[in-house]
Amino acid sequence: MRKGKITMTITIGIACFALVTVMMMQFKVVNETDITEIENMQESELKTELANWKTKYDEIDAQYEDTMQKIEEYKNDEESNNEASRLVQEELEQTNTLLGLTDVEGEGIVVTLKSGEDVAAISADDLLIIVNALKFAGAEAISINDERIVNTTDIVNILDGSFIKVNGQRILEPYVIKVIGNQSHLESAITGNGGKIDELQTLGHTATIEKDNKITITKYNGEVETKYLN
Amino acid sequence: MIFIAILIGCILGAILGLNAPMISYTYSSYLAIAIIAALDSVFGGIASVIKKNFDLKIFVSGFFGNAILAILLTILGQKLNVDIYLAAIVVFVWRMFMNLGAIRRYYVEKWTDMIKNKATKEKKEENKEKVNEKS
Repeated sequence: MRKGKITMTITIGIACFALVTVMMMQFKVVNETDITEIENMQESELKTELANWKTKYDEIDAQYEDTMQKIEEYKNDEESNNEASRLVQEELEQTNTLLGLTDVEGEGIVVTLKSGEDVAAISADDLLIIVNALKFAGAEAISINDERIVNTTDIVNILDGSFIKVNGQRILEPYVIKVIGNQSHLESAITGNGGKIDELQTLGHTATIEKDNKITITKYNGEVETKYLN
Repeated sequence: MIFIAILIGCILGAILGLNAPMISYTYSSYLAIAIIAALDSVFGGIASVIKKNFDLKIFVSGFFGNAILAILLTILGQKLNVDIYLAAIVVFVWRMFMNLGAIRRYYVEKWTDMIKNKATKEKKEENKEKVNEKS
C-alpha cells in the first residue's frame, strides 16, 4: 500500500511535469504568434489569403485589360482624327496660300515702274493691264508695293489720277510689282512687241525687270469680310 | 504528499518548457487540444486518488491515449473540414469540471468534519470539566 502510494505520487508528478512543459511551450508559441502573426499564420489561413489576393489580382488584371483596350481604341480614333485634321489643315493651308492669306516664297520677277518726268504719270489702268497680263501668264502671287493682289483687290485712280489706291491703301512711286511664277512666261507676257512694259518705256517711263529665284511676297493685310454671301 | 509532487512537477515543467525550442504554429492547434486532454487526465487522476480507486495503468493509458486521440480527431476534423476539436474540448472541459467538483466536495466535507470533530471534542472536554467540578 505504501509502495503503491509512492508510485501514484510520482506518476502524477511526471504527468504534471509533462503537461506543464507542453503548456509552457504552447504559451510561448501563442505569445510569439501575437507579435509576428502573419509570419506564423496557419497554412489554411495563408491559402485563403492567397486565394483572396488571386481573385483580386484577376479582377484588376481584367480591368487593366479593359482599360488597355479602351486606350487602344482611343488611340486609333485619335490617329484617324489626326489624319483627318492633317488633311483639313493641308487644305486650309493651300486655300490660304491661294487666297493670299499667307506669306509666300518662290522664283519670279520684280518689275519696278517709275513715271517719266514730262509725260502723264502711270495710271491705275496701266497697272491693271500689267497685273492682268501677269495673271494670264500664270502668276501665282502678285503684290504691288507689298500690297497683295487678292480676290477683292481694287486698283483705282483717285482724284483724277493724282495717286493710286490698291486694296484701299494709297501707294506711291516707284511701283514695285513682285510676281511669283514661271520667270520667262511672265517676262514675255509684259515685254516684247505689244507688251505693256515696252509701251510704257516708249512713252518715256522707267521700267526695269529683275529675275529673282527667291521672292518673298507678304500676305494680304486686310480682312476678308463677307456681308451678302451666305 | 501528492500536492508536493504536483508542485515539483509543475516547477520543473515550467523551467523545461520555457527553455524548450519553439514549435511551428501549424502544430499549435494540435498541441492545444492535447494539453486540454492531458489536463483532464491529471484532474481525473487526482480525483481518483481522493476516491481511493487510482489505477496506474488506467491513468497512464488515459493520459497519453486521450491526448493522442484528441490530436487525431483534430487532424481528422481538419481533413473533413469539420471542427471536431470543439466536441473534444466540450467533453474534456465538462469532465474537468466533474473531477474538480469531486475534489472540491471531498475537501469541503473533510473540512466540515474537522470543524465538527473539534466542536464535539470541546463539548466532551466541557462535559468532562463539568463532571470534574461536580465531583
